[in-house]
Amino acid sequence: MFRWDQVWYYLFQDPNFTFLQAAWITLWISVVAQAIGVVLGLILALMRTAKFSPFRWIAGAYTWFFRGSPLLVQVLLLWTGLPKVIPMALLPQWACVLIAFSLNEGAYMSEIIRAALGSVDSGQMEAAKALGMPYGLAMRRIIIPQAMRVIIPPLGNEFNNMMKTTSIASVIGLMELAGTAQVYGAQIFITFELLIVATVYYLLLTTIWEFIQRWIERRFDPGRTNVAVDEVMQKSFSQRVAGFGG
Amino acid sequence: MTLEKLDNSPQNASNGPMVRTEQLVKRFGSNLVLNGVDFTVDRGQTVVIIGPSGSGKTTLLRCINHLEKIDSGRIFIDGQMVGYREQNGKIVEDSEKNIARMRAQVGFVFQRFNLFAHMTALENIIEAPIHVLRQPKDEVIERARVLLDKVGLANKEDAYPHRLSGGQQQRVAIARALAMNPKLMLFDEATSALDPELVGEVLKVMRQLAEEGMTMVVVTHEMGFARDVADHVIFMDKAQIVEQGSPQQIFNEAQNERTRSFLSRVL
Repeated sequence: MFRWDQVWYYLFQDPNFTFLQAAWITLWISVVAQAIGVVLGLILALMRTAKFSPFRWIAGAYTWFFRGSPLLVQVLLLWTGLPKVIPMALLPQWACVLIAFSLNEGAYMSEIIRAALGSVDSGQMEAAKALGMPYGLAMRRIIIPQAMRVIIPPLGNEFNNMMKTTSIASVIGLMELAGTAQVYGAQIFITFELLIVATVYYLLLTTIWEFIQRWIERRFDPGRTNVAVDEVMQKSFSQRVAGFGG
Repeated sequence: MTLEKLDNSPQNASNGPMVRTEQLVKRFGSNLVLNGVDFTVDRGQTVVIIGPSGSGKTTLLRCINHLEKIDSGRIFIDGQMVGYREQNGKIVEDSEKNIARMRAQVGFVFQRFNLFAHMTALENIIEAPIHVLRQPKDEVIERARVLLDKVGLANKEDAYPHRLSGGQQQRVAIARALAMNPKLMLFDEATSALDPELVGEVLKVMRQLAEEGMTMVVVTHEMGFARDVADHVIFMDKAQIVEQGSPQQIFNEAQNERTRSFLSRVL
């Protein structure tokens, strides 16, 4: 029997805010891991274009490993493997998840950022140099702001994905949305109902993010050249919710 | 050694030529692009470099502010060696900081404008004076408006580059270079990417600059400009300077067969 009352209870009447707290864990881990991932990705992207070849190898090997193995396995490696390599180094679940997600995201962001930096016309760097800008200043003032326009749409997708993928943290017992649904649901056989509650929260998070992303895109596109990107984002959202349409 | 020391003395720096190159050699792979090029540009002069495509004229210009490294030879701007310095008797590439400092004094105008796409016309102009020269923003903005007015774009300060025509973009690019108060301006085929009807407005700005006494090196296919505005014309072919002299000497009394045949094709 489907327990609507349980769905309703956990959505609106729960005095302990069980799922709101779980959503908070999902959210903060996603935000922090994404932020670290972006910084890591930028460093790796710059390393991959460096003249000093060991930088390029290190960055290449890093990306190869983290993109080439499943995130779930990376989480489990940290959770089960780290205490074996370094005794006493049993990290709390949230730390394992945060580290694995950040490192993994860094690899994906480095590819996105590298492509975006490469998409900026080489004449922009030449003009910056010709005006007496050193490399760092030219990157910060001229190249990266222009690359941002290209980075933000895929970055939005990455973060959207991140919020949903944190659900795999439930396998090591982190009480984020999916984990909470399973643990609470198993007690009185309402896992299905609570997964629906979790899904509502996931949709809430991704929908809010969608609006924020669109706002950011407009901010980084002062010349309004990326109208097409905006349209694509709207389309993909309705497709995600309804499964079809444009 | 003694010669270089003399050249770097302040006295000489203010009197000698603005640009001097010695036996410039540049290769792209096995392709020799500059084969021992010597030339000088005096203060206040407009030197125009002409020649067929692939003759090395753009490369020569790009070497002057070290956008290209050179394989041998030397370049001096205002008596200072460009891009390289002597260390224990050897020539090594200069530090990034010194190269940037040199470039800040030399304006470069690109064939494809290269305006910063995420900035308005005004922002393009004030960017380097504020962040490279660290001049006060108010002052720089004021000067930028004067420059925009000078290039005839006073009403376009808030326009982004993609809203401007090629000719307008190039004039903003010239204003952007001038905002640094350069002692030398380099023009790399500044009108080659423009529609024919837009060439005139850019040449007019360049002509005005020359008349005001700016030291300029201009690589161009505009023979009319070379003839009317240049103090000195250099004809390059096959990685070398073939002939140079006043516009009169080059356009009317060319001695070299290659110069004559080139001019007969383009005039």
